[in-house]
Amino acid sequence: MAYAYLFKYIIIGDTGVGKSCLLLQFTDKRFQPVHDLTIGVEFGARMITIDGKQIKLQIWDTAGQESFRSITRSYYRGAAGALLVYDITRRDTFNHLTTWLEDARQHSNSNMVIMLIGNKSDLESRREVKKDEGEAFAREHGLIFMETSAKTASNVEEAFINTAREIYEKIQEGVFDINNEANGIKIGPQHAATNASHSGGHGGQQAGGGCC
Amino acid sequence: MYLKKSRSSSINGIGKQDNESKRKRKVAEIFQALNNSPVDVAALRRMAISEGGLLTDEIRCKVWPKLLNINTRELASRPGPELRQNNKDYQQVLLDVQRSLRRFPPGMPDAEREVLQEELIDSILEVLKKNPQLHYYQGYHDIVVTFLLVVGERMATALVEKLSTHHLRDFMDPTMDNTKHILNYLMPIIERVNPEVHDFMQRADVGTIFALSWLITWFGHVLSDFRHVVRLYDFFLACHPLMPIYFAAVIVLYRGHEVLESECDMAAVHHLLSQIPQDLPYETLISRAGDLFVQFPPSELSREVAQKESTAVSTFKDFELVSAQQRPDAVLRRRFREQLQQEPRTSAIVAITGTRRLIKLAVMGLTVALGAAAYAVVNTALEWAPKFELQLFP
Repeated sequence: MAYAYLFKYIIIGDTGVGKSCLLLQFTDKRFQPVHDLTIGVEFGARMITIDGKQIKLQIWDTAGQESFRSITRSYYRGAAGALLVYDITRRDTFNHLTTWLEDARQHSNSNMVIMLIGNKSDLESRREVKKDEGEAFAREHGLIFMETSAKTASNVEEAFINTAREIYEKIQEGVFDINNEANGIKIGPQHAATNASHSGGHGGQQAGGGCC
Repeated sequence: MYLKKSRSSSINGIGKQDNESKRKRKVAEIFQALNNSPVDVAALRRMAISEGGLLTDEIRCKVWPKLLNINTRELASRPGPELRQNNKDYQQVLLDVQRSLRRFPPGMPDAEREVLQEELIDSILEVLKKNPQLHYYQGYHDIVVTFLLVVGERMATALVEKLSTHHLRDFMDPTMDNTKHILNYLMPIIERVNPEVHDFMQRADVGTIFALSWLITWFGHVLSDFRHVVRLYDFFLACHPLMPIYFAAVIVLYRGHEVLESECDMAAVHHLLSQIPQDLPYETLISRAGDLFVQFPPSELSREVAQKESTAVSTFKDFELVSAQQRPDAVLRRRFREQLQQEPRTSAIVAITGTRRLIKLAVMGLTVALGAAAYAVVNTALEWAPKFELQLFP
């Protein structure tokens, strides 16, 4: 399908925080209560619309376990956006954010937009990390923040789309060099020539569904 | 379970009868090898590799320990609850095992599955506790569960412990750096057979991570039919530790036309290849993987592979491993001489049945059971393997 831009994302965070479930909810609108773990790197894609433009999100979902870091790190390069996920019911996954952030910053391009996500917001009774704490961490490190539930789909669309919107704004501001694919942004095949093929409009969200 | 399938897969009655008598003959040969004194391990390896593998889980219970040189009469007793106390791996293993429902037979009652899951946790923790140099990785439980379901908890623990210090050793480092190195064997194999597919994949810059879970779980993580998984385990247990990489290459090659038809782009090719088809012709692919191993043994590929590696660290590590193990190749040579003396029959079979490939594979597989870490085997024993072949196939 034709797109104006392609944005490459990476999803990172401790094992079991719900990275693959967030991706599945976003691409397939499904929730799998017992999701098998991710070994290495998996991949999903979906089309969204921002500012009337078709944007393809290409999302790399990574294994959370420490020993896979040397493998997943190579996927940081060339990502325009990152979702850094922790589990609000497991304090340790929040405590590890600093390490994840350092790792991401060190191995990615400096303009990468990072969205901090406190997942499993449906499990209020088991909450170990307050929403304020997530907000404070995000503020301190210059990240966007959201709490989501891959189970109820709450804020899942928003998390992926707001990240895209941020990237899109950075493109408009000229922060990203869109001709350098190493930044995780690709201009669509037709778009390079004609810019106004879509009727402008409602910056809304439109589900594309499916992969690739 | 397996037998039913091979029976129903034959199209006509004659084929059925044929298959049945073939199968019976194979069962008889396996038991003959088992009853030999000493047990004819080389024959068992050939059986495990050849069509149908070890046929039933009952036979696997008897043969798998022999392939790994495990004495089934000396199994350790079950660990007590203290195993889980203050155990650094417990939480992680627990989380992963809880998520592994897919690996248990569909329709198994919850209560039964839960008992097995507890055993799975204990099995994993026991091996890790006894071998502090080993690091748990996600996917390890996919291997252990396969053994658990076939041979039961006590024997599974013993087999997996042996496997972990040999075939799986590199995956159990604190990082996956050595595993990445092993994945480097993939592209040179593909290049030898189908340069077009190789070049396409290089252009797409797809890398080899799509095959990571195949390698470190011996395909247990990605195949949904348990019969296929155990068939592959027969094969891998009888072969060299790098055989899963040859099998991975064979799958890619089998899907070569699909690869060439896909968009030449990292995401597209990665996505295509990581979705493994469930209806692969396993027997054909197994025999193809065996052929490739004989045709392009790791020793031949290793120079290319080594060039791709950037650090000297692993080389040093090999050196350390070899010294720590008192030169495994020396052990291998000694064992080989013993083997030859015990088995004049082997060369007779070469002449009579002409199953050269099988025997070659089985012989190369010998390097495995004889007690060298996978890495050391790759780097030292294989230099020796061609000499071995020369002696066996003049």
